[in-house]
Amino acid sequence: MRSSVLLQAYAHGRLVGPRLTAAPIRDEVEIALAHGSEVVLDFSGVEATQSFIDGLVGALILQHGPDVLGRLVFKSCSDDVKAILQFVAADRSDQYLKTHSH
Amino acid sequence: MIIFPSYLSAPSALTTASVCQEILESGDVAEINAAHLRYVDPFGMAMLGACFHEARRRGCIIRVHQLPSGISGYLQRMDVFTGVELVECPTSNGTRHDRSDVLVELTQLCNHSEVGAVAYRLAKAMIGGANPDEVPDEMTGYTTFDRLVEPLQYALNELLENALTHARRGKKDACVWVASQYYPKKDLIRLGVVDDGCGFLASLQTHPKLQHKRHLEAILLALQPRVSCNRDLGLRNDSVNQGVGLTTTCRIAEHAGGRMILASGNAMHSTSGYSGEGMGVYWQGVGIAMEVTRSKLADVRVRELLPSLDDIPPVNLRFE
Repeated sequence: MRSSVLLQAYAHGRLVGPRLTAAPIRDEVEIALAHGSEVVLDFSGVEATQSFIDGLVGALILQHGPDVLGRLVFKSCSDDVKAILQFVAADRSDQYLKTHSH
Repeated sequence: MIIFPSYLSAPSALTTASVCQEILESGDVAEINAAHLRYVDPFGMAMLGACFHEARRRGCIIRVHQLPSGISGYLQRMDVFTGVELVECPTSNGTRHDRSDVLVELTQLCNHSEVGAVAYRLAKAMIGGANPDEVPDEMTGYTTFDRLVEPLQYALNELLENALTHARRGKKDACVWVASQYYPKKDLIRLGVVDDGCGFLASLQTHPKLQHKRHLEAILLALQPRVSCNRDLGLRNDSVNQGVGLTTTCRIAEHAGGRMILASGNAMHSTSGYSGEGMGVYWQGVGIAMEVTRSKLADVRVRELLPSLDDIPPVNLRFE
């Protein structure tokens, strides 16, 4: 089962900016994940700041571990968004694994 | 009588902070002689805004005398003197022309929820007349407007949100003041973001990389990638930062032919290469000035500006 979140609704112009914007989206994603769904994060037509992506994806990794990435699909990402996602995911996964390695 | 210098600006950040400190230490009344004032940049306006707000909060009456006519109308237009008495100063004639394509008046920001909208409004204003209805490029899907506005909007989001988040570590009701202007003849955009919070040193004082408790050292540490006071705190009660926002914003400025100047405590640093510490100077919060060449914003690609992750392995992500 898949649920989808269209991020364009949260943009000002073409950019989803503040970290704070991620909080309610993350809550929505957590609920969907808890119900066993995959979640599609649809970046059609938008760019995003590193802070927003960290507030959304980075926080999910710190909460649930890198395995959560297997249940997230990133749709229609620009090259910039892909690069930021890869940066955030790698950094926060590394941080999680180091914290939980004892 | 406090004397305004000729310039209240980012390159003279320590002088600007020093004047603000005098105002805050004035007690019941701050009498200011502005006869020598020639130029105030957005950084100077934002710092004056924060300073006047705090002084008024303490019950101080602020009087500015003899503003030169060449600058009086402009500063009043920029809403710098809200709540301030102007004595022997030319006053504006009450007609406010729409200059929203080149300047944004001094704006106070107190809520995180306002950051996205304010950042977009400022960025659009600074692009100075690009056509938001332009047909997108067939290959990239972007318009000239997108290419120009997004790096600036990105930087403003990071600066404003950082300012509110970190300022409030030490002061619950800290706010942020922002002003910006586009100078068409020089193709230059200048903006100033100043908060009245706790400053870099208070934010980073327990960071293991801070060797000496000096404001300049804290500023330089804050500019290093992946340095943050709260990278590792809990999720629900605190915002978790990667420590990358300020670094990326500096790189946006540099790649757009510009620079950033940061001031906090008794110190300042410019990314163009100079730093300074002032004896007896103190600004409690953080002041940041950003300067970029408008036409070079279109060449900025954020993906090229992210810090290196050194030995951290990449992870697999599912893209569609």
